[in-house]
Amino acid sequence: MKEEQYCVITFNSTHHAIKGEKVLNEKGLDIRTIPTPREITASCGLSIRFATEDLEKVRKIIGDIALDIKGIYEVKKMLSDKIVTEV
Amino acid sequence: MRKEVDARGQNCPKPVIMTKKALEEINEGTISCIVDNEVAKENVSKLAKSLNFEYEVDKTKEGHFYVHITKGEGSQETEVCIPDTLKDMTIVFGSNRMGEGGEELGDILMKGFIYTLTESTPYPSTLVFLNSGVKLTTQGSKSIEDLKTLEENGVEILSCGTCLDYYGIADKLQIGEVTNMYTIVEKMKNATNTIKL
Repeated sequence: MKEEQYCVITFNSTHHAIKGEKVLNEKGLDIRTIPTPREITASCGLSIRFATEDLEKVRKIIGDIALDIKGIYEVKKMLSDKIVTEV
Repeated sequence: MRKEVDARGQNCPKPVIMTKKALEEINEGTISCIVDNEVAKENVSKLAKSLNFEYEVDKTKEGHFYVHITKGEGSQETEVCIPDTLKDMTIVFGSNRMGEGGEELGDILMKGFIYTLTESTPYPSTLVFLNSGVKLTTQGSKSIEDLKTLEENGVEILSCGTCLDYYGIADKLQIGEVTNMYTIVEKMKNATNTIKL
């Protein structure tokens, strides 16, 4: 498996994750809803994955619409291991 | 070169993973793994055996075990710990949604499932899509990208021709091959492990 780097937003509820997906999609951002990596948390299973370059844009949109998120993390994937840092 | 791995107090399969990692890090030499129970000792010994490395077990006064594993220059590393049921697995997607209940949730779960398949090796050998499952391999599917990743890694992707035709989307197939019931039956019979979603 190749090395990858991306960011994920985690949520307190599945419904917030679904809303987040809709809003960020409407803003034309390249995002994907994925199961939350185990390395982060097992609470709400859904998170939104996006490119690290879009971090500031995503932060602004989240702030503008007051989306209820739990946290934003940067994920670095080395082979099959993932290293996760909160950003 | 000699290295020690202290796996006391670790639950299965941690001692095996720690030892395997240590063995991967050296070209040759000895890894001495200390474990505090019989089961862990057996598992670490099995690892050495499956890798064709020589090993010795010592018992300490406290009842702990040392497993000394020697990785020689000529040691052949074979693929370990991949059960046949994983190497040769067929997954049958009988629906475009995962589980029963909310449709929106079923869509999300299915999208997440296929994404997670790309994140977890070894990959299954074949994915079969039938009935509304063919909506996942045709235009409009949110999983095409992930299925492409799987296909690039050797996973065979098959969509039921009758089903594509029934839904009028035979010309919308985006990934994999069209198949018929004979092949589907064969794939399900020949795989050591078939999972129907």
